[in-house]
Amino acid sequence: MSPRPRSRSLLVTGAGGVGKTTISAALGIAAAGAGVRTLVLTVDPARRLADALGVEHLGNDPTPVQGAPRLWAAMLDVTASWEAIIHRHTDPEVAERLEDNAFFRAIADRFPAAQAYAAGEQLAEYLEAGAWELVIVDTPPAGGGIDFYQAPGQMRELVGGRILRVLTGAGLPGRRALYRITARPVLRVADNVLGGALLQEFTEFLMDLRTLYDGLARRATNIEEYLRASTSLVVTTANPTPLREARRFFEELEAIASVPAAVVFNRALPNDWTRKDLDLGRDLGADRASTVLRDNFRRWAAEARRQREAREEFAAHFKVPLATVPWAEHPPTTLDALAGLMDVSSGLPDHALVIPPK
Amino acid sequence: MQFGQSTRPGGYAPATMDDRRLIFVSGKGGVGKSAVTAALALRAARRGERVLAIGMVDSLGLAAHFGVDALEYEPHQVHTGVDAVAIDRTKALDEYLRLQLHLPKAAPIGQASKVFQVFVDIAPGVREIISMGKPIFETWQGTYDKVIVDAPPLGQLFSYLRAPATIAQTVPTGAVQDQALRMRDTLGDPTTSALVLVTLAEELPVMETAEALDDLAKEPVIDLAALAVNRVLSPLGIAPSVVDDLAPGPQREAANLHENLFADQQPWLAMLPAGPRLPYLFGFLTPGEVAARLVDHWEAAS
Repeated sequence: MSPRPRSRSLLVTGAGGVGKTTISAALGIAAAGAGVRTLVLTVDPARRLADALGVEHLGNDPTPVQGAPRLWAAMLDVTASWEAIIHRHTDPEVAERLEDNAFFRAIADRFPAAQAYAAGEQLAEYLEAGAWELVIVDTPPAGGGIDFYQAPGQMRELVGGRILRVLTGAGLPGRRALYRITARPVLRVADNVLGGALLQEFTEFLMDLRTLYDGLARRATNIEEYLRASTSLVVTTANPTPLREARRFFEELEAIASVPAAVVFNRALPNDWTRKDLDLGRDLGADRASTVLRDNFRRWAAEARRQREAREEFAAHFKVPLATVPWAEHPPTTLDALAGLMDVSSGLPDHALVIPPK
Repeated sequence: MQFGQSTRPGGYAPATMDDRRLIFVSGKGGVGKSAVTAALALRAARRGERVLAIGMVDSLGLAAHFGVDALEYEPHQVHTGVDAVAIDRTKALDEYLRLQLHLPKAAPIGQASKVFQVFVDIAPGVREIISMGKPIFETWQGTYDKVIVDAPPLGQLFSYLRAPATIAQTVPTGAVQDQALRMRDTLGDPTTSALVLVTLAEELPVMETAEALDDLAKEPVIDLAALAVNRVLSPLGIAPSVVDDLAPGPQREAANLHENLFADQQPWLAMLPAGPRLPYLFGFLTPGEVAARLVDHWEAAS
């Protein structure tokens, strides 16, 4: 029987640098403030934001946030997650060998799918623990958030031995198949380029990795179910790079997850500034100060129009509710400032935040 | 935060950069590194050089700044004097294997390539050295006066820049090792190669840049030629008291926003070493227009 989640999850996705962590934290504060026991899992917060949440160090163990009742925070520790994953799914001897293996460390350290998979594992753990009513995940930014959804499948495939079959030409090889490697012509080429020792080391590593398969494949399927059942928000700014990633997310999402509850445009300038009837010079004279103020407003109004066009075009194209979070004059780094951010935001659907009455 | 130990006295002004033949541009995601890459390519072309611009991991941003939808896997002209190309993993791998095995272009290496593709995805340094191969081979070949690379973002940059040294250490065979060493030496030669970093006057980009400078100081794999700060705001230009006296409304809100954002940038700017400061560009500009304007501002800052 597969484990059941006892709480709801909200995935906050988007490109790096758009303010995902800030918005995840603000949503967490709002939900906790509304009486919902909430956990926020962050991936890589800015120092000052981490300080505000009291997560000074990497740690998968949630800690209560001082000054915010019912709110917990955790900061993803990819290495610790992967150590736990291999110890859970294979016997201790193999697990220890894997921990020391250079290929394995490379995967855990820098394979984007491995980071995303670790976040998914943590989400599953938290959901099954049942200690929180809402788990908010500030997802890893790779691939504009798509990688997070694809990671379970990618890890299942990596561990599943397809590579091993290509290398050894065997179905599911035992260690003896190793000796056949240098007999295969294609591998003589590999041998030339990389050296036989490296290739052998690599194959041995894949065999150890293969022992994780049954456990990991089952777990990956759980995680995929949880991800599909989650509510998601896509955060972006109106700048071309994050917008391109958000677009890609919507285009590829259909196949893998539910439609996001909203697209959240962060650092939004007021729509009010785009009004055509705004008489720029009404209250201003022809002196230098007035000219400066008029020019300043014209520049920012042009920004506001560019942003508005980008937002409306995006929401219309993908038929998704549009939410905005205003451009904060100072980056919010205290609990109060974060809470204030939600007060001035607009369009965020309530159901993304609060558990519906039973 | 410490910026002191690893910074060069006098900062990173790009004065010496014009002679280099291989330039990598990097920065945290979203700081505008593709725009700066395109601007540097356009600038070199204006000076009469033949330029190859390379999109290394995600080439869509670079394409947009040249005013095209996408870059192709063979160099195509995108502007007078500028050819651009995207690196395709499979093709780059084939190219790398052919060079290693001294195979003619037509020889079938499909199956070897297939085995390698999976290996490449996870073996440390292999994927990176294959992507690094293209810009370095082009520099050796000398078809272009200058190769300018929209490099991977800061988080991945060092695994790429270090790849030739990593491979030279881990691969014991002669030919591959020789070539990796030669690649390492080309990257490390300050008369040939340079790194340009782009950042914003905000917490996370500045912190990541500080870490990158520390990494470079520890392991000088490439010479940092310029550290540019993008989207820098100018002072509003009038006294705050004048703004405070304004009636509530959009003009006052915009003035307040500008003053506050400007004030927030100052501590980060003060922390960063000297180098080009590129202005915030307001309003409706296509990515191509952005790149063209940045050329002028880069010129003024140099």
